[in-house]
Amino acid sequence: MATDSGSLTSSVRALAPELRRRQRADRFRTAMFLAPAALLAILFLYSPLAFIVHMSFTIGSSFLSPAGPQYTVDNYGLMLDQYLPNLLVTIQLATLAMLVDLVFGVPFAYLLVRKVRYRDVVRAVMVFPMFGALYVAFGLSFALLPGGLLDPVLRLLGIPNTALLFSLPAVVFAMSIFTFPFMVMNVGTALSNVDPTLEEAAACLGARPWQTATRVILPLTRAGIVAGALMVFGWSIGTFAEPLLLGSLNEQRSLAWTVYQNAVVENDYGIASAMGIVLLALAFVVTYFSLRYSRGALVE
Amino acid sequence: MTAMTLHRPRLKARRLTDILSHGYIWFCLVLFVLPFVALLTQSLGERGGTSGIDNYADVFGSFGDNLLWSFKISGLALLVDLAVCLPAAYALVRYPVPGKRVIFSLLQLPLYVPGAVIGLSLLMTYTFVYPIEFMWGLVLAMSVGSFPLMLTPIVVALKDLPLVFEEAAECLGATKWQAYRKIVFPLIGPGVSAGLLLCFIIVFNEYLVTLFVAPPDLETAPLRVFNLVRTNGLAPSTAALAVTMQLISFVAVLAFFRLFGTRHFKGTYIL
Repeated sequence: MATDSGSLTSSVRALAPELRRRQRADRFRTAMFLAPAALLAILFLYSPLAFIVHMSFTIGSSFLSPAGPQYTVDNYGLMLDQYLPNLLVTIQLATLAMLVDLVFGVPFAYLLVRKVRYRDVVRAVMVFPMFGALYVAFGLSFALLPGGLLDPVLRLLGIPNTALLFSLPAVVFAMSIFTFPFMVMNVGTALSNVDPTLEEAAACLGARPWQTATRVILPLTRAGIVAGALMVFGWSIGTFAEPLLLGSLNEQRSLAWTVYQNAVVENDYGIASAMGIVLLALAFVVTYFSLRYSRGALVE
Repeated sequence: MTAMTLHRPRLKARRLTDILSHGYIWFCLVLFVLPFVALLTQSLGERGGTSGIDNYADVFGSFGDNLLWSFKISGLALLVDLAVCLPAAYALVRYPVPGKRVIFSLLQLPLYVPGAVIGLSLLMTYTFVYPIEFMWGLVLAMSVGSFPLMLTPIVVALKDLPLVFEEAAECLGATKWQAYRKIVFPLIGPGVSAGLLLCFIIVFNEYLVTLFVAPPDLETAPLRVFNLVRTNGLAPSTAALAVTMQLISFVAVLAFFRLFGTRHFKGTYIL
């Protein structure tokens, strides 16, 4: 800018070196300020991820052999041949949890934003699932035991205990409780940006509540709902404790647990890394779309 | 008269929907605390010959070490998070950084990597690439997974803070560092505390990354819960430990709500 000397008066031109010096100082400071965060992310996230990408192309634990690693693409082939059911079970669980959260979370968010005055109480209670899927799964397995908290309710509904403990519905139930706050957060933010007078206007013009919901509220909050659903899906992909504590052998095949088995128990680093990469790719794709749909980037 | 009789059924319908909607909210709230209440009743119950007091004596007896480790690891991870996020947030908000959105997204991404993948990649890296002293590997694993949660509230707080305060301080002769330390930092305090709280909740209860990365002689409390559930089944003393962890986290949340309110969680996943 300072080189555009034609339009600059001489006094401003005298200031130009000072301005440039300041710009340089600012740039230096920016770099210094961002360096720790960048270093942490690169050293402990991005390069380890790059390393397991590399690792997923080596055979078994050939990394440890003195002859050096042997390269192959078999791990991904094996992933397709042998571990496809694991992938499918993981996707199935995440999809079901997402659907449950959609069906129960959207009305919850609507009521929370529009009708509830004791929002602080709701917020405080809603942090309980956030403490971790482990406690949710552990607590639910106690609740589902014969004589547990849910026993009377189940008896009332005529469902035997044995049908629920170690079953698909129990896993999905635990997963959706854990991810419920994410859904409510996304939908709630979208809803609080919608002017409530629009609903009143629709009602004045003779729309039934159902019509207001489908023609006014849902279209206006679609971005938030899609973002919430995708986010829940992305978080559910890495489910670990729920299938382990509440699932049958079928649900226990979920990918995250298989990764652990292969890496730590069987020491087959190649296939474990390949699985990790598949999991990561799935989570990233979903998250990308989720972040695209949730408008309002924080830094702009 | 006729108008009143006409209005009455409509009023009734409105009251009914009110009752139904509040009932629905409370039903969901009951579901949220159900796992916790189940653990609580189990830990206080007299199953298998041990009383509730015995279970909680265990928490501070044989589980005491695990709790201590949890506090130590979370404390150190929070310090690392602070040291990393304060300058980064300042640079992102106050300086013209080229590619700001991309940088911010790249710094947010750790939040969306599944825990098992972070754990696996760090396990592989620590084993084959750079060996790290026993505890620090775990601390840094915790901070890399949680620092986006700290970054967001600080960025939001800084953006809400008008530039004039700093400019005034500098006009009055303060250096940049003085302006930051005496003006900016106190004013973004609640945002920083929100970040600290979120990171504490996540790191304090993290078991999955710990399971991969923790050295054999180090067992944090959530990891102990996980290991005991796997080897020992559904034992009341394990439930007591899980209840204690959740209560500590919940007290932290309540204290924060009391001190600062809830608006500082904007942009994070507490509404």
